Amino acid sequence: MAETLRRVLTRDGAAWSGEENTAAAGPPLLLLGAPGSGKTALLFAAALEAAGEGQGPVLFLTRRPLQSLPRGTGTTLDPMRLQKIRFQYPPSTRELFRLLCSAHEAPGPAPSLLLLDGLEEYLAEDPEPQEAAYLIALLLDTAAHFSHRLGPGRDCGLMVALQTQKEADSGDVLHLALLQRYFPAQCWLQPDAPGPGEHGLRACLDPGGLGPRTEWWVTFRSDGEMMIAPWPTQAGDPSSGKGSSSGGQP
Amino acid sequence: MAVVLPAVVEELLSEMAAAVQESARIPDEYLLSLKFLFGSSATQALDLVDRQSITLISSPSGRHVYQVLGSSGKTYTCLASCHYCSCPAFAFSVLRKSDSILCKHLLAVYLSQVMRTCQQLSVSDKQLTDILMEKKQEA
Repeated sequence: MAETLRRVLTRDGAAWSGEENTAAAGPPLLLLGAPGSGKTALLFAAALEAAGEGQGPVLFLTRRPLQSLPRGTGTTLDPMRLQKIRFQYPPSTRELFRLLCSAHEAPGPAPSLLLLDGLEEYLAEDPEPQEAAYLIALLLDTAAHFSHRLGPGRDCGLMVALQTQKEADSGDVLHLALLQRYFPAQCWLQPDAPGPGEHGLRACLDPGGLGPRTEWWVTFRSDGEMMIAPWPTQAGDPSSGKGSSSGGQP
Repeated sequence: MAVVLPAVVEELLSEMAAAVQESARIPDEYLLSLKFLFGSSATQALDLVDRQSITLISSPSGRHVYQVLGSSGKTYTCLASCHYCSCPAFAFSVLRKSDSILCKHLLAVYLSQVMRTCQQLSVSDKQLTDILMEKKQEA
């Protein structure tokens, strides 16, 4: 999933150096950020990206219907892509469990991408770590089952968004440790800006051992469109890593 | 596997799979490596394999789950695809304290995969859903 997110993030940036294998979704990815940090928008952008690849439908799970569809990047929302995104709204943790446990019974083609927004709401219902672990394991197992149904050489990606609070309590910390164990790739979103007078979000993508950490600057225009640029590096800035100076991303 | 085992464990398991093909039993050197890596869990896991305590439950959809009959008589559910076991030792040693990589039930599942020996049970898609859901109700 880190691959798909990376494609979303780099499309607007410098020239894409041409990655090999678009069928490999990469490891499951966890998207983290405080309320309002753009997780849903980024999740939705990844859904549109995957829908456009024509590998299969996209399954988007969230507790409540989105109030408005995030604009994502690019000019307009392509209705052809939108049609390929299946939204489901499990209203409780139990319903989410039921959905995941019965995923193999669902007819139709297997999704190429499974997205879940608002994991923290489902975890909050059941603070027991073992229950939380089972829910996370089922998400991974469901994605693995879809990968199997898609056939050899094709994968179903998994991307989950989790809201973090500024003041983390011990329950949150335990859940986070659990999640980091099961999700090798993570993307942190936080309000930040590369220079004075600017605003936006800093997206820090760690693909979990498959590549270096990279950072982007995400802003939203007044019409809701999401603009993404590589995080500008400054000479001697130790936190910027290999971010953006050259054209292609490794 | 979405969540990968440490490279040394993966390597050991695949070497064992090749060795077992030829001789139908695990050569001593691998038994030693297992004990070195996993301590007493290795012996307990091998014991579980010997006693045929592992069942692979599969359904026509291709989805499957493992169940292991523990020494206490309790059955635990293991998801091999993502490295999860419903036993208390997993929750404690692996998840909470990060003391161990595996519990004996998961190790038993991987060993039975290597040795290609475990009970097989076919159920309907609906029954598999119920088995997966059952775990939720147990708690």
